[in-house]
Amino acid sequence: MTGAGTLLAVAKNPILPEMKEVLWFLLAFFILLVVMWKKAVPGVRKAMNERAEKIRDNLEEAEQVRNEAQEVLKQYKRQLADARDESNRIIEEARETAENLRRDMLQRAETQVAELRERSREEIKAAQERATSELQSRVGTMAIELAEKVVEQSLNRDANLRLIERYIEQVGSRS
Amino acid sequence: MADRTDAYAAALFAVAVAEDALDRVEEELFRVARTIEGNDELRSTLTDEVVPVDRRQGIVEDLLGDRAHHVTTALVSFIVGVGRSRQLPAIIDKLVERAAEERSEVVAEVRTAIPLDNDLRERLGQALSTATGKQVSVKAVVDESVLGGVVAQVGDTIIDGTVRHRLNQLRAAL
Repeated sequence: MTGAGTLLAVAKNPILPEMKEVLWFLLAFFILLVVMWKKAVPGVRKAMNERAEKIRDNLEEAEQVRNEAQEVLKQYKRQLADARDESNRIIEEARETAENLRRDMLQRAETQVAELRERSREEIKAAQERATSELQSRVGTMAIELAEKVVEQSLNRDANLRLIERYIEQVGSRS
Repeated sequence: MADRTDAYAAALFAVAVAEDALDRVEEELFRVARTIEGNDELRSTLTDEVVPVDRRQGIVEDLLGDRAHHVTTALVSFIVGVGRSRQLPAIIDKLVERAAEERSEVVAEVRTAIPLDNDLRERLGQALSTATGKQVSVKAVVDESVLGGVVAQVGDTIIDGTVRHRLNQLRAAL
């Protein structure tokens, strides 16, 4: 009774629609709802399914691309690691080569220094021997010259005759 | 050249034999050869083509003159006159060899610092004959550069007993 009284009170309100309009409105709404349910919903559902399928495909494709990218990344990392190993190996080889070169050069330098030292020693020795020999030669020459002068002065006719007699004796005893 | 030297030596030898003066001429020519060898000025004058031949022959005659047999002077003058002064010592050596061969001897060129008397020459010849096993004809040359002692050359054999040789040995040893 209270509700009917309120509805009446509302119906009487100019702002509120009439009961009949409400019924028509509800009828039209249900008809539209049924039409929409029968006609529009399958299309929308199909579109949504297609959309979902497409999204799923995209996701799979993205996953595949991601996998490929990861594979490429792995490969790149592997190549990078190989390159790093290779560069390390080259650096190590270069270091060893440089070390060998340094050792060779050092050894060669030491050999050359030793040879130079030996040659210098030999040259000094040869120079000493030359000087000694020259001195001996000069002393010998001076001694011979002195001996010649002494002999020239002391070899008188008698001494010369004695030498000739001795020569005759020695030559005559040969046969 | 050797043939020509032999030919001249043979000619000189024949002249000396024909004049019956071989021993003296041979001895004198030997001294002439040694004198020319030991005197650069005389050798260069006698071999100088610029000096006229008769001038060079005049020098020979002035040097030998009365001191040598006239055949010796003539032979040396002849060699100078035909322009063989340079070969004169070699020609004379050949002649001396030939003369020695005629006597069945070999020539021994003996150098001493003092002149040798006949006794020494004879004994030296005997000693060299004993040493070489050949009859030796001694040709003596006074050469003061030997200082003392004797050096004898018989063919290619040299027997050196000079003071100069001893000093040279000493010099080499020192």
